[in-house]
Amino acid sequence: MPHTKPEFKQIILEALLVIVVGLGLSLAANAISSRGLVLSRDYFPGQTKAVPVAPKPAPVVKPAPVAPSPVSTNEPSEAELLTQRLRDKGLQELNRAQTEKLFHDPRTREERIVFIDARDEDHYKDGHIPGAFALDPYHPDRQLETVLPVCVEAEQVVVYCTGGDCEDSDTDAILLRDAGVPNQRIFVYGGGFTEWSDFHLPLETGARNSGLTNQSNQSKPK
Amino acid sequence: MTGAQTTGKDKALEAAAVAARWALGAFFIYMGLKKALDPVDFLKLTRQYDIVHTPFLLNLIAATLPWFETMCGMLLLTGVAVRGTALTLVAELIPFTCLVLRRALALHTLHSIPFCAVKFDCGCGAGEVFICRKLAENCLLILVSIWLVSGRGRALCLRHSLFPPRRSPAPPPSL
Repeated sequence: MPHTKPEFKQIILEALLVIVVGLGLSLAANAISSRGLVLSRDYFPGQTKAVPVAPKPAPVVKPAPVAPSPVSTNEPSEAELLTQRLRDKGLQELNRAQTEKLFHDPRTREERIVFIDARDEDHYKDGHIPGAFALDPYHPDRQLETVLPVCVEAEQVVVYCTGGDCEDSDTDAILLRDAGVPNQRIFVYGGGFTEWSDFHLPLETGARNSGLTNQSNQSKPK
Repeated sequence: MTGAQTTGKDKALEAAAVAARWALGAFFIYMGLKKALDPVDFLKLTRQYDIVHTPFLLNLIAATLPWFETMCGMLLLTGVAVRGTALTLVAELIPFTCLVLRRALALHTLHSIPFCAVKFDCGCGAGEVFICRKLAENCLLILVSIWLVSGRGRALCLRHSLFPPRRSPAPPPSL
């Protein structure tokens, strides 16, 4: 069914109309949606500009070199990539042993060492490191009010997400750094929640300090 | 071929085109809504293609594309502006398929694995998929869209064309 020239022009006009109206409606839908994106926000800060790590080491834990873990030992390049990625963003990495040590440090109970969970609300409620604050880097507005003053006062802030190639912890770390938390106090736990639960370390479900704690003995290594 | 045979074949083709239009519409509504309900996930996947580096443009694509696809799906399902919508989908699908192919080739080279063993979440709304299957699926979607642009699938449409068909000028009155 070949189109005549005027007919094809009509189809193009129709397509342009669909695009213009569709774009307008899509923007409206995004604005109305509670999960909509803020167009002006940079959701991946610090991706192009690397901030150098402060030369002064942290009081207790030094930045880890490559963090070997059961998840990454078979693929050392992934661990190296992770370290490089954090280094490029001017962030410091913690391995599991260092994170565990900080978790058991008495200062954690006094909120002088603070854990930040960068995963979304659903994942956080399913299980997080006990006492960790939730800070979804894509919807930080509500949580930042609570989390920021605590982080500013803290001696060390440990941020984690799922682990591996998950960059949400980096985003949270940069968010906190940009909000005024000194960079040398911020650490990213590279193995993340996956590694933590794979090692059957303590977990808390529901809200922060809900008291619903359990060992992650049901999680399976990936 | 007799006229009756031609009519029967045409009717079958038209019915197939209507079914294809509905299927295409339903597919885009489903995929669009899946992405629209988790825009952050779609934003991360869009970023992996490394096509735009301006946050505003990246956000704009991730925020509008899922809803736009949903709207195109609804237009196809209800039969409004079918050819214009189908042409829009062709214009979206062809570059997107090229991007998926480019990324698959990069992964194929990086990991030295057979091309068809490459599997990743292309941001299509269906999660991780094998690349060969995804490319075949996209080619089918493009072909169906082109078929609809050609004017098939007019039956059961609310308004197939937004603009009224042009009529040939009336012949001059005979003396």
